[in-house]
Amino acid sequence: MKKIIYYLLPVAMLALFIAIMLSGSYLKQPFGEDDNVPHKIALVKEHVRNADWESAQREQNKLEIAWEKVTRRIQFSMERNEINQLDISLARAGAAITAKDQAGALMELEEAARHWHNLGR
Amino acid sequence: MIGLIGLIIMGSGEIIKEKNFGVTGLNEALIVTVRGVIAFFTLLIFARLLGKQQISQLTFFDYVLGITIGSIAANLTTDLTSRAWPHWVGLAVWTLLVVALQWLTLKWRYASKYIDGEPTVVIMNGKIMEDAMKKLRYRTSELLEQLRQKNVFDISQVEFAVLEVNGQLSVLKKSQHQPVTPKDLNIPTDYQGIDTELIYDGVVVEQNLKQVNLDRAWLDKQLKKQGIYDPSEVFLANLDAQGNLYVDRYQDHLKKLTDIGDYPGPH
Repeated sequence: MKKIIYYLLPVAMLALFIAIMLSGSYLKQPFGEDDNVPHKIALVKEHVRNADWESAQREQNKLEIAWEKVTRRIQFSMERNEINQLDISLARAGAAITAKDQAGALMELEEAARHWHNLGR
Repeated sequence: MIGLIGLIIMGSGEIIKEKNFGVTGLNEALIVTVRGVIAFFTLLIFARLLGKQQISQLTFFDYVLGITIGSIAANLTTDLTSRAWPHWVGLAVWTLLVVALQWLTLKWRYASKYIDGEPTVVIMNGKIMEDAMKKLRYRTSELLEQLRQKNVFDISQVEFAVLEVNGQLSVLKKSQHQPVTPKDLNIPTDYQGIDTELIYDGVVVEQNLKQVNLDRAWLDKQLKKQGIYDPSEVFLANLDAQGNLYVDRYQDHLKKLTDIGDYPGPH
């Protein structure tokens, strides 16, 4: 029994560490409706394309809330660089929507989608 | 105290900010703490996996290896710009390669010689092997320095000197310069063996007592002979192979302590 614990303890610890480090890809996925980042990016893009600025602004706010929820889950396993860059893209997209700049908003949202894709890869 | 003030100043950024913008809400110190714990215990487990060879005989490669593995672990802890996982994989790959090489050199002597190199004789029958030294890029001044470290100040006393794989010099002095042993003088000697700890930090080590076929009653009797009535008064008690008990108490009853300090300091 002692021997089993002797070997099991380090193996269990390494398994736990690996699980924490690789948990990002799983934790990135939506757990509910309000934390589905890629879906919300697509929605905002749709509204921006249709020049529906009021809806775009509303969805953009929801997107930022969803993103904040996800970052809390993935902070231990994901690269900070990609998180920061996605965050900045979202902030720029928000500003572009406020300024009703369709091209700027689409550019930033596309970049945010790319950062989301690269997160944890 | 200074550290605490530093922490308060560093942490004050969280308190004084006006609005929580996006990911600034993430606590970097917390992330570093979690990654630090992962790196620390991973390194501990991997170091145990690598075994004792790492510290006992460090070759130049082992030295570089230690630095590299340590550096990867440090990056794993504090480099938040990338994920922890690639760093961890790097750490695991280096460790596994070392284990693989250890295994290979253990099973295959040729590989061992190829990878680790071989010891080289640099002094043979009192003659310096210049060609061998040139091949090793090993200077005469280094040879003399290492001889001096082995208490050899007269090179004519040396019969053999071997430069080991880990850079240490092994020296065999000529027989007329070797110290006299009891065997040379035909003096009978006792078996020396190793000491057994019977009391450690005031606590009797029952396991060791049983190992030397003795019991608490015997130990108490021996302690009483020295005026000790409780093992908790003893800092260390060792039994040698001849059955002599060495006892050191917490209270040493020394009137005057020798001070080897040669300059006034803080203590």
